[in-house]
Order: sequence, then structure tokens, then C-alpha cells
Amino acid sequence: MSIIYVLIPIAILFVAIGLLIFFWAVRSKQFDDLDKEGFSILFDEQKKKQRQDHDTDA
Amino acid sequence: MPSALSCFHCQLPIPPETQFFTDIDGTPQQFCCAGCQAVAQTIMAQGLGDYYRFRTKAAGRAELVPDELRAQLKSYDNPDVLAEISDSTTQGQRIELSVNGMSCAACAWLIEKQLSQQAGVQQVHVNSGTARCELVWQPAQVQLSALLEQLSQLGYQAAPFVPDQEEQSFKNELNAYLRRLAVSGIMSMQVMMLAFGLYFGEFSGIEAQYEGYLRWVSLLMTLPVMAYAARPFFTSAWRALHSRELNMDVPISLALLYTFFASVYATVFDTGEVYYESVCMFVFLLQLGKFFEFRARKRARDATSNLLKVLPVSATLLQDDQPVATSARKLVAGQHILVKAGETIPADGEVVAGNSSTDESMLTGEYSPVAKRVGDMVMAGSINHDGILTVRVAHALTESRLGQIIRLQQETLHQKPAILQQTDKIARFFVQRLLVIATLTFISWYFFIDAERAFWVTLSVLVATCPCALSLATPTAITCALAQLNKQGILIKNQHVLAFLPKLTQVFFDKTGTLTQGRFSIAKVNLYQAGWTEQAALGLIAALERHSEHPIARAFANYETPDVVASDITLQIGQGLTASWQQQQVKVGSRAFCQALDITDTAQVVLQVDDVLIASVELADQLRPEVPALVQQLQQAGLKTSILTGDGSGHGELLARELNITEVYQGCSPEQKVSTIQQAVSAGETVLMIGDGINDSPCFHAAQVSVALDSGTELSKNQADVVLLHNDLAQLQQLLAGARQAQAVVRQNLWWAAGYNLVIVPLAVCGFVSPYIAVIGMSFSSILVVSNSLRLLNK
Repeated sequence: MSIIYVLIPIAILFVAIGLLIFFWAVRSKQFDDLDKEGFSILFDEQKKKQRQDHDTDA
Repeated sequence: MPSALSCFHCQLPIPPETQFFTDIDGTPQQFCCAGCQAVAQTIMAQGLGDYYRFRTKAAGRAELVPDELRAQLKSYDNPDVLAEISDSTTQGQRIELSVNGMSCAACAWLIEKQLSQQAGVQQVHVNSGTARCELVWQPAQVQLSALLEQLSQLGYQAAPFVPDQEEQSFKNELNAYLRRLAVSGIMSMQVMMLAFGLYFGEFSGIEAQYEGYLRWVSLLMTLPVMAYAARPFFTSAWRALHSRELNMDVPISLALLYTFFASVYATVFDTGEVYYESVCMFVFLLQLGKFFEFRARKRARDATSNLLKVLPVSATLLQDDQPVATSARKLVAGQHILVKAGETIPADGEVVAGNSSTDESMLTGEYSPVAKRVGDMVMAGSINHDGILTVRVAHALTESRLGQIIRLQQETLHQKPAILQQTDKIARFFVQRLLVIATLTFISWYFFIDAERAFWVTLSVLVATCPCALSLATPTAITCALAQLNKQGILIKNQHVLAFLPKLTQVFFDKTGTLTQGRFSIAKVNLYQAGWTEQAALGLIAALERHSEHPIARAFANYETPDVVASDITLQIGQGLTASWQQQQVKVGSRAFCQALDITDTAQVVLQVDDVLIASVELADQLRPEVPALVQQLQQAGLKTSILTGDGSGHGELLARELNITEVYQGCSPEQKVSTIQQAVSAGETVLMIGDGINDSPCFHAAQVSVALDSGTELSKNQADVVLLHNDLAQLQQLLAGARQAQAVVRQNLWWAAGYNLVIVPLAVCGFVSPYIAVIGMSFSSILVVSNSLRLLNK
């Protein structure tokens, strides 16, 4: 069971990293408009596909 | 989905005999107007057809970009104006725009895409929730007017916007809420996980070293929750104590600190129980409730805060008889400015040339257009209707009547009648007794019963009576009520409204635009020639009036028929129109214009064909259809109703007689409106003010509750506590009903929380409640309170 002396600090480290990423996301305005971000995935996929189409055309 | 008969772009029905077709992805699609067609063509040409695939709502009907708009946009390129509406950053000029015509998230994407394709644009960020666009661009490479024109080609009207300071602080606050929520939420999960290890250890045995280790780790992870996420509770409690008050945050802080330090004590000295998971969960749940409430309020605020749109931004200055665009704020007394038709007048001043009529209803409440000739004074913020005016500036914008009203409104801002929150009253009652009981428990156990258990029994008392349910009782109910009213189209920006509404005693109505529709409609048509029907006369008037910008002309818009076509139309500013129709000369205009002074009635519009009097039309600003029923209902509910209007024409008195309202205040300046309401408030009334104009906005702060209509001016919506989005006064009833329901639920919640405490406290004092049972009881009563509040959402 002494493995928890290693595993729990590692878990805490991950939690800290997760929190830092969240803070960064808040600061970079990713939570300002949640409606739009839900859509961005649809549009981005389309854009890449178009680019590929262009590549094959060329 | 677009059907054969609805416009491909805006999905409104297509009028018969319109032929606007464009190929979209190989299939011909029909449009309702040239505007929508042009927008769709632009969108497809830019390769942005995805918009039509992914949008969830139809677009607004688009208008063709008129040349006047182009000219108006050009004025934003002037360095003076630009410096005022945007700021320089290292990447380029940064500006915030408020965008009209956005209906769903796909619009945001469309705007971002279109603008970021332009050379010189560094950054575009569109928020679909608030309809704002943040733009960073290089003025050297591309002009702002060009970018704004691009947007209007897509069917969106963008205007520069300067967010007020309060809004910025709201934004920062919301982000702080998000961060605190993340810290308390994520830490709760971790600590809960460790707590499970400890729970199982209780039952199946755990080695002392592991138990101690898990406790220390839990302590470590609870620290950020206490030090960061829970800090607002501590600071608010400290502020209250400092001013010798007690609010709800005092018992919350007390319970948090006591539970936390008891757990730390247990951890350090390896005795008793730890409650880190309770601490974390408690903070998380409280933060969650506050976060939702705050976000609802922020949305309501953002939706209505376009203050700067009221203040004219740019002006056309005449320098050596040459028109030069300049910033409206830079105008000084003595300068000459040019005001075109449809423009907002940028400064108070005297007309030195030109002839027109202006709409001052926003400032005075007077709805009839005011004729302006050489020598007349015009007011900043009023709208020039039909002619071109040259105006000598009398004083700068900040000294103008508009500036004064805005200052008055800022002065009244802090005079809002305060209400002591119900929960604060309860908190005061509760905390005093709780502290006494806890102290007595500790003393009696320590000295008379069992000194060993004194600390832990006191902890049970504090945990069992933990104000969780009590503190959740009001905010959850209010949040749910806000969400429910929001769904019905009632936007509430100030949650105190719900506390005031059930106590309401008096309602003040503004007249123009609130009780009435704020625009002319046809009251009566008098016919003078046989063979003419009302329909035919109105159709002919409409065919001419569509060429006029005058507000009277709008009254006829519904009577337009496509088979009546008038040609050779000439406009006599402020008088009327002439045209030829079926080889006859037609005149539409005032009695003086048609030389029909012999008519005795009060008709404003006269129709003549070949100098023969055909018809005269009486116009009136008519009552909103829902008003009589509403006023009657309010009076039956025992509320005093009063009319408070800036209009001094006596129309208000007529209206009051019609509605059976006894109290009428006519011809009030904004200052008089404020003092009238302040008198009512100091006489002990709980006052609701409902209005729509700029002149109403100062007195909004004087009343306990202020309501604006969505059709009202931006400033009034910005300042009101409540905005009725459907422009339906009958919603006032819904608002009152919603507030009463919320109050009922709050009462139930408080009774439950109080009843629970009454049962559990004696048990805890006697030592029958172990801290674990206390935690379960506390969680159960919290869940009950939250579920009870959620019932409001289903109503």
C-alpha cells in the first residue's frame, strides 16, 4: 500500500496542471460565448475538407 | 426549413409578384427582396455557404446598403472620431462593436470568417450571446468604414460601442466565479475520493499511518478551497461584522472556519473526525448557485447595455462651407454643423438654415414631430426627419439637455431605495441564537457533563445547524424564478425586484410609447366624394407617403397596394407631397398645403385629386390593446395607478379618464418625474415605474422597481431593472405572478430549514447526533430546498 505515497502526489500534480489549464482557458476568453464554441467544431471540419479538395484540384 | 414560399435567407414569406432568384449550390432559390438576395450572393461568393447549413435560426430580413449609410460609416474613419471609439494596442486599433441582426451562433461564425479574410484585420472575436464583436485592425491597411460596410453587405449593422466600466467589472467578476468554481469543484472530487478511503477504513480497519496520510493530503487539498474559493464569503462576513451587521455570510463563514479548523485539529493531533469533504462540497454548492445567478444577471445586463448608441458619435462640421466629419464631443459653441435627414442631431443649437421637423419624443415624451425653421432651437439626441439643417452649436454635447439627463440619471443611480434582504434578517436572528446555543452547549458539556466530548458535541451542533439549507433557500428560488421569467421574455437585471414586487402599492405609467404605441395610427377617415372607398383613398395616400421619411407616413404603410402606382412625386418638406396618378394631379399633406382650411375636423392628412377634396384622415397615437385590461386588473389588486408624462398637451388627461386613472402628472421634465416618484417613495409607497424614453430613465432609479419595454430607447433599457422583451404590457401581470410564486417558494424553503433546525438542535445539544449523521441531515435538507426551488422552472 505504500505506493499511495507516490501515486497521490502524482494525482495532485495532475490536478494542479488541470487547474492551470482551466485558468488559462478562462483568461483566453474561451468561456465568454459557449453557444458559438459548440458550433466551431462543425465549421472547422468543413474548412479542412475544403482545403483537401483544393489540394487535390491543384 | 425553407419552403417554396419563404425566403431562402430570412425565411419570411415571399410577397406575391416578387421575382428574386439566385442559384445556391446549383438549385435556384427564391428571395423576398433584393436585400436578402444580395446578402446571400455575398455569402456564397465568399465561400461561406456553410452558414446556411449550420445555422439554427433564420436571419433577419436584410436591407440593401443605402448610400447614406456608406457616408455615415465614412465618418468613423476620421482620426478624431476613431480615437474616441477605439484604442490603440501594439497589434493595431482595437474596437468593440455592437452588431444588430445576429440571430444564432452561425452568424458569429459568418462575421468572424468574413472579417478575418480582409487584409489588415488582426483579430476578430464575436460573442453571439451579447451580439458584440471585438475587432483589432491596422488602420493603415484597411479603413473601419470598409469593414463595417462588409458587415452590412452580410445583413448586419455594426455600431461602435464603448462598454461602461460596470460591464467590465461584471466580466472580471464572472471569470473569477468560474475560477473559484473550478477550484472548489475539482478539489471536492479529490477530497471526496480520499474521504471514501477513510469511510471504508472506518469499517474494515485502516492502518494509522495511512489514515494520517490521507487526512494530511485532504488538508492540503482543502487549503486552496478555503484560501481562494471561499474567500468571498469571508470578506463579505468580515465587512458585515465590521459595520456591526450580520448577513448570511457570517454563519456560512463560521461553519466553514469551525469545521475546517476542527478537522485540522483532528489531523494534527490524530483524534476525532475530519470533515474536509463537507467543507469542499459546501463551498462548491454555494458557489455554483451564486455563479448561475450571476450569469443570468450578466446576460440580462449585456442584452440591454448599448448606452453609447444614444450619444451621437460623429458630426458633420462646416468649415469654410466645406463639410468635414468630426467627433461630436469636439464640437464647441459657435461652430456650424450640417444635419442630414434621418441623422441624430449631435448638439444643442439654433437652426441657421434649412427647414425640417424633428422627433424629440425620446427627450420630452411629446410624440408629434416638431417643426424646425430658421431661428428654432434643436436638441442633441433628437432625430432630424426630412430636411437638411444647418445648426449653430449653442453648447457642447456634455452641456446639452441630453448630457444633463444622463448626468441626472447617474446621480440618481446610488439613491435606489434599499431593502434589507429577508435572508439577512433571518441570518441576524439565526446567528445570534446559534452562537448562544453553541456556547451554552460547550460550557455545559465542558463543565457539567463530559469535558472530553465538549468540542465534538459543539461541532455536531454547528454542522447540524449549518446554514446550508437556509443560505440556499433564497438564491436558488430566485435563480429559478429568473430563468423561468426569462423564458417568458421578461428580462430581470436586478434580482431585488423579486423581493419588492409582492409588496407593490403604486404603479406609474409613462404615456407615450408605454400606454400608447408611440406612433401614429389611423383613427378616423372622412370621405367627401361619392365613389371613393376608405380603402381606395388610403391606398392612394400610402402610394405617395411611402416616399416620405416623416413619421406620419409610417401610419399608412399597411395600406400600400401594388396596383396603385403614383409617379412624378415631389416632396415639400414639412408640408406634403404631390404626384401624378392616372393622369390626375394628387396632393397629400396638411390642411394648409391642400388649401382645405374649411374642413373643421382635426384631421392631419388631407387627400386631393385635381384640387377636389377626397378624404381627410385623423391620426392618433393609440392605446396599446392590452392596457385597459391590465390597468383594471392592477386596480382590482388594490394598486394605485398613475400616469407620469412629459407630454403637456392634455392628451394624458383624456387617456386617464378613459382608463379610470385618477392621478395624472402632465408636462413633467425629467427632474419633475424624479421628484414625483421620490415623493411617492418617501410617503411609504412601493413604486413601480414603467417607461420607455430617455426622459424616463433618471426616475427609474428613484422607484423601487423600474420596467422598460424592448421597443424603448437603449438608455431606458439599460437603466431599467426589468425589460419586457415582447413589448406586451400584459407581461407585467406575469412578472407579478412570477414574483409571488418565487416568494412562496422562498417561504416554504425557509420554513423547512427552520423546522429542520428546531428538530435537530435539541438532539445535537444532547449529544445524540454524531457529526456524520449531522452531515447527512444537512445534505438532505439542502437537496430538498434545491428541489423545491427547481419546481419554479416547470411552472
